[in-house]
Amino acid sequence: MHIPDGFLSPAVCVGTGTIAAGTLAVAFRKLDATLASRTVPLTGMVASLIFAGQMVNFPIGLPVSGHLIGGTLAAILLGPWGGCVALALVLFVQMALFSDGGWLAYGANVFNMGVVGSLGGYALYQAVRSRIAGPRGVLLGGMLAGWGSVMAAAACFCLEFWLSHPAGEFDLRKIWMLMASFHSLIGVGEALITGMILSVVLVHRPELVAAQITSTNPARIGRFVWTGVVAALIVAAFAAPFASEYGDGLEAVAEEAGFASHATESTGPLLNDYALPLPGTDRESPLWGKVATAMAGLLGTTVVLLLGWGLCQTLPRPLTPREDVHAG
Amino acid sequence: MTSPAATASAQPTHSRATILKVDRLSYRYSSGQWALADVSFEIGLREVVGLVGPNGAGKTTLLMHLNGLLFGVQRPMAQSAVTGVPPVAPAAIAAGSQGKTGGAVEVLGLAVSPATAPEVRRIVGLMFQDPDDQLFCPTVGDDVAFGPKNLGFPKDEIKRRVAEALAGVGLTGFEERSPLQLSFGERKRVCLAGVLACEPDLLALDEPSSNLDPRSRRGLIEILRSCRAAQLIATHDLEMILDLCTRVLVLDGGRIQADGRAFEILSDEHLMRTHGLEVPLSIQLGGRKSTLPGK
Amino acid sequence: MRADFLDRYARGNTVFHRLNPRTKLLLVLLIVIGVLLTPVGAWPVFGCLACGVYAALVIAEIPTKYILQRIGLLLPPVLGLALSAPISRGFQGGWELAATITCRSLLTFSAGLWLVNTTPFETLLGAMARLGLPNRFVELLAFMYRYTFVVFDELARMRTGQRSRTFSKPGLFALWISNASLLGMLLIRSLNRAERIHGAMCSRGWTGRMPEQS
Repeated sequence: MHIPDGFLSPAVCVGTGTIAAGTLAVAFRKLDATLASRTVPLTGMVASLIFAGQMVNFPIGLPVSGHLIGGTLAAILLGPWGGCVALALVLFVQMALFSDGGWLAYGANVFNMGVVGSLGGYALYQAVRSRIAGPRGVLLGGMLAGWGSVMAAAACFCLEFWLSHPAGEFDLRKIWMLMASFHSLIGVGEALITGMILSVVLVHRPELVAAQITSTNPARIGRFVWTGVVAALIVAAFAAPFASEYGDGLEAVAEEAGFASHATESTGPLLNDYALPLPGTDRESPLWGKVATAMAGLLGTTVVLLLGWGLCQTLPRPLTPREDVHAG
Repeated sequence: MTSPAATASAQPTHSRATILKVDRLSYRYSSGQWALADVSFEIGLREVVGLVGPNGAGKTTLLMHLNGLLFGVQRPMAQSAVTGVPPVAPAAIAAGSQGKTGGAVEVLGLAVSPATAPEVRRIVGLMFQDPDDQLFCPTVGDDVAFGPKNLGFPKDEIKRRVAEALAGVGLTGFEERSPLQLSFGERKRVCLAGVLACEPDLLALDEPSSNLDPRSRRGLIEILRSCRAAQLIATHDLEMILDLCTRVLVLDGGRIQADGRAFEILSDEHLMRTHGLEVPLSIQLGGRKSTLPGK
Repeated sequence: MRADFLDRYARGNTVFHRLNPRTKLLLVLLIVIGVLLTPVGAWPVFGCLACGVYAALVIAEIPTKYILQRIGLLLPPVLGLALSAPISRGFQGGWELAATITCRSLLTFSAGLWLVNTTPFETLLGAMARLGLPNRFVELLAFMYRYTFVVFDELARMRTGQRSRTFSKPGLFALWISNASLLGMLLIRSLNRAERIHGAMCSRGWTGRMPEQS
């Protein structure tokens, strides 16, 4: 997820960095208004928490294992602006301590994961929460947002990568397909980890994640299903056509501007225009690419929704206000 | 904030010898449970008072009221609920506070409220139980300077206070060290230095001796003994109370159960046992005499 | 637990460890920009730079094994992305670009490794503050870095407690559940601690902003 230096051109780094810096400046102002004197301890602590939490491995039975990314979790705990700042902090420490993520690409990393991931993820979270009351909304919203923020960050990276190189060198659709298929897996993992952590918190200290949690209204279960379907469609719709329409559009612009003059039209022996030539697929047809990406989007969303539904079952139904535990 | 000139040295028109007056203070958790109920006591200038009680008695909650981290309510009428031993508060009763009562907690005549909290925090220094909750700066020097900086002192004054406070806890020359490199006892002393650097008139200490090895504990007791501010020490370390305090308050279930001379209260076996405490070994074994600790 | 695994080699004492951190930072940024601006296929330039960076790593006494380990972790995603160049052309060319991208990433990554392993975090932070990183961000970073160790300690203690009550090798599913509950509890504890820290800060006069010091 961390973009190392070497992928993005200096111009793209400066551009995304400027946007990221501007957003952080706004975020600080918003934080002063909402968290006031808690800004430093709360944001800093959530950042350390996420940094440390990333060290806990979630094995998947392979040599590689998953871990929390935490952008959505930070946004849920601190609000979108706090999440944005917390992620910028985490990314900074990872860069300055481990050299994870490039120095010049820091702005791009903050933009992808902090600005787009955290703000976008929070918007998705709120959209779900406004429709589903109670802890289920928090859980489902958080999981969908976790998945969505990973995909959104991946999409941003594709675009930045594509913009960093001369037109025609890379096919945006193919990079996106590559990234989307990997990141839908990573996104499902992030959604699941986020959801499991949230469910622990929802059981023990529900007021930490949402001030106005009320007990679930049974009449809203119907709405719950509906919102799930709608959210799934939105995410899939966001993910799928990006590869085809948007890519085409950008390339068309590039072609018109004359940048794409040296773009090759040759069809490879192994991989044609749209990745793996499945038996029976028309090589000339752009259908496969769209289907594959849509599958990645749809499948990911469905899996996340199913997992979310499963986790919801583990939540206790009536939530009683927590007994305050204070040290004597 | 106010100018450095108008700081802790500003003496309110308060002629009595009390620094802290708590009057029928009650505090309720958001869950509805009462954490403090009708707590009343006073502390005289330079008086050193112990606060004992079982876990969950409300000691920390009470301390947090003293410098405006929590704001309780004052019950309209004191329900005659104070049970146990009748209070014997030599310094407290003398004052006979019939004047206007501004609030449940008054510090040097100043009612503690969100508006007065900054002023109150100049007078009352609060030391937390876990040093990691207090030491948040990258270096010891920064951390000790944090309070004076917030109080708006000029650079030289900050420097003087940091040096003095660190010397006071025996950590001269530790300015550039990171809290991460210090032992638990050292960190605890830095915390105390951070509070002392604000030069408070009342020190509120939450479990100052917990988790300390015997030598660090003894060192801390000596530091507190040499400190001239009034002190309210919440602790389970009853031997330390006998070493330091003239007077002790017993808090249990959010109520003051006893208030009196340290030796008398701590040697009352029935009272101690009722409130989850026990008579300190030094009294049980007869080694400790009923003398007041020398200052 | 002394969490010095976070900056294992940064506290050495070589020429480069003693070098002014600002010089090092600017040097690395210069290398990064230089590498990015080096045209595709300029192998002699990349070769020279690689030799230079490797020499710097050796002089800084950073073990080759550690460097290879880190590069090994970085390589798969880098290769995957670099290969999208030939893929974009249906494997008809694009190889040179892929190789160049790989070279650029590895070079800049190694330069970054050199920087972070010759400069402790707080020194680096101080240098960046002098180079214009906003004060509020620096304060937050210092705070976060400080509490990273506390949270790590807490995590380690909780894990030990969990392990001491684990009597068989847990399956994958059980591991996920126990890890998630570990993190959930860590979250609750950390937020409680943040609240206490806030109280402690307020009790020493904190109002939300560090007072300006002349």
